[in-house]
Amino acid sequence: MRPAAAGRTEPAADHAGEALIRTVHLGKRYLLASGALQALADVNLEIGKGEFVAIMGPSGSGKSTFMNVLGCLDVASDGEYYLQGRAVSTMDVNERAEIRNRLVGFVFQSYNLLPRLSTLQNVGLPLVYAGVARHERDGRARRLLEQVGLGEYADFLPPQLSGGQQQRVAIARALVNDAPLLLADEPTGNLDTHTSEDIMAVLEGLNRERRLTIVLVTHEADIAAHAPRLIRFRDGRVEEDLRGGDAATIHRLDQ
Amino acid sequence: MLAEAWSALRVNRMRTGLTMLGLIIGVAAVIAMLAVGTGARNAVNDVVASMGSNLLIVRSGPQMSGGLRFATGSAPTLTLGDADAIRALPGVAAVAPGSGGAVQLVYGPSNWSTMALGTNPDYLSVRNWSLAAGSNFTEAEMRGAARVAILGQTVAANLFGAADPVGRVIRISRSPYLVIGLLAPKGQSFGGSDQDDTVLVPVTTALRKLFGSEFADSVRYIMVQGDSPRVLGQVQDEIDALLRQRHHISARKEADFNVRNMTEIANAAASTTRVMSLLLGAIASISLVVGGIGIMNIMLVSVSERTREIGLRMALGAKPADVLQQFLVEALLVSLGGCVLGLAVGIGTIEVVKRLFQLNSQVTAASVLIAFAVSLGVGVFFGFYPARKAARLEPIDALRYQ
Repeated sequence: MRPAAAGRTEPAADHAGEALIRTVHLGKRYLLASGALQALADVNLEIGKGEFVAIMGPSGSGKSTFMNVLGCLDVASDGEYYLQGRAVSTMDVNERAEIRNRLVGFVFQSYNLLPRLSTLQNVGLPLVYAGVARHERDGRARRLLEQVGLGEYADFLPPQLSGGQQQRVAIARALVNDAPLLLADEPTGNLDTHTSEDIMAVLEGLNRERRLTIVLVTHEADIAAHAPRLIRFRDGRVEEDLRGGDAATIHRLDQ
Repeated sequence: MLAEAWSALRVNRMRTGLTMLGLIIGVAAVIAMLAVGTGARNAVNDVVASMGSNLLIVRSGPQMSGGLRFATGSAPTLTLGDADAIRALPGVAAVAPGSGGAVQLVYGPSNWSTMALGTNPDYLSVRNWSLAAGSNFTEAEMRGAARVAILGQTVAANLFGAADPVGRVIRISRSPYLVIGLLAPKGQSFGGSDQDDTVLVPVTTALRKLFGSEFADSVRYIMVQGDSPRVLGQVQDEIDALLRQRHHISARKEADFNVRNMTEIANAAASTTRVMSLLLGAIASISLVVGGIGIMNIMLVSVSERTREIGLRMALGAKPADVLQQFLVEALLVSLGGCVLGLAVGIGTIEVVKRLFQLNSQVTAASVLIAFAVSLGVGVFFGFYPARKAARLEPIDALRYQ
């Protein structure tokens, strides 16, 4: 592990207060049969509380690996990662499970709902692992289902819902633990344009009203255009980190 | 959490059922085998008890004639005097001599052929036998060699039907005998013969009047009842020494009698049935183990099928211990379900067997407990490896699993 280089200027969040996410020389190396693969190298980023960040990059650029490390699904091999000021890099399996449970909400491309549980049970699933009693679990899950406009579908099974509805259920599930960070990995990848806009509207609303920090991976420029900040990865490194007007310009150029 | 496991198992009803089947058969086999084993042991115990307890049998030895040895009991070497001498030994509770032969019984138009046994009043207590009606031989009848008889149930049924035989006069080998008693039913002997097919007469009557042999005093065997099981060996040695002395046979020479400990024979029979039940139990246990391997197999399939689910649960905050617990509970649910159904099948089988074969077999609480404990053990043991495999998955690998 490389020591954190002192004196090096790290990118600062401009409009957000304290940094929710901070990475220092973050690196991830995979050992493959064909040799070592450097998936992430020297990533120094700060993402402030309440920011809405889109991450883009060609496949193999390291954007997914970065997301997995942020979500504590994967462990970095170099550098440090601080979430809410806590050093995640040194945590053990159980501590990371707790971080995932309390601080991070996930939205996946393929929704990842359990097909044999009702939407209500799916939304309440993180609370099971937080040790919340059944009655309270159902109450909170129901409120969130209502917030995403699916109050009447509480007893439906996921396969009975449309793709857009399933993704709304997944968003409700990501919010049920009041996690400050929502990680969305290609959340609109399986949806048509109209439904994609719906989902993005839901995410924008959450970012605006709850000051929810959202990090979104996408390869569609018009989806990324919803985010005020755009980070581009290439070959495991941060290629660009654009904010506000700059980001909008790039989006237009991409289209 | 139980509900979770239940819903996971319900998704694959067919598979869960088949997995349980192995255990159902195993548990049913264990229950049935243990019950049949108990039944066999009970049957042996009943037969042994009917023989009489703490029993030694002294038989006259093989007859020697010109270098040829004849059957045990054929030599007329045991006498009533020997029986009286044995009765005086310490540790002896009762002594009953026996001398018998085939006789023809006649009552009115009915007749019946059976074995008559000449013995004394102690015979009933030595054999653990009671009278259904009438009375035992008296001292006067013994001394006077009276023509009195006690009938076995089979004999009474064949001569008198349902009527009471006590007080009637029958003919035994053409002489009239007064029936003074009726024996209680006894059932089959160790060798399978009908013990109720007999008639008892005083031994004096048998020797002097019924069979009238040239050795007026000799009996075929002497039954000796010891005070307790512990003294039997000692009594056996004492009888041996006493009879050698009375028959003038030195310790090195072959005796003209032999003493057999019936309790030892009974114990040997009991241990045979114990070995049988152990063997049956072992075979049944093997099917339980096979059932357990079935559980492990299915749980492994289930873990790899549900790898993505495991990954998702981990992403939502499940710790390795939570995942381990989830799969262990599923394995336990399958094994306990199999156990309960297996108990039902096993108990049902035993009920049918009891009706069909009139076997005195019981499903004991112990065997039910054993079945439960073993099923739980099988569930935990064979469920642990797949569950640990699931718990050790890396969340990211599990989520990406196709």
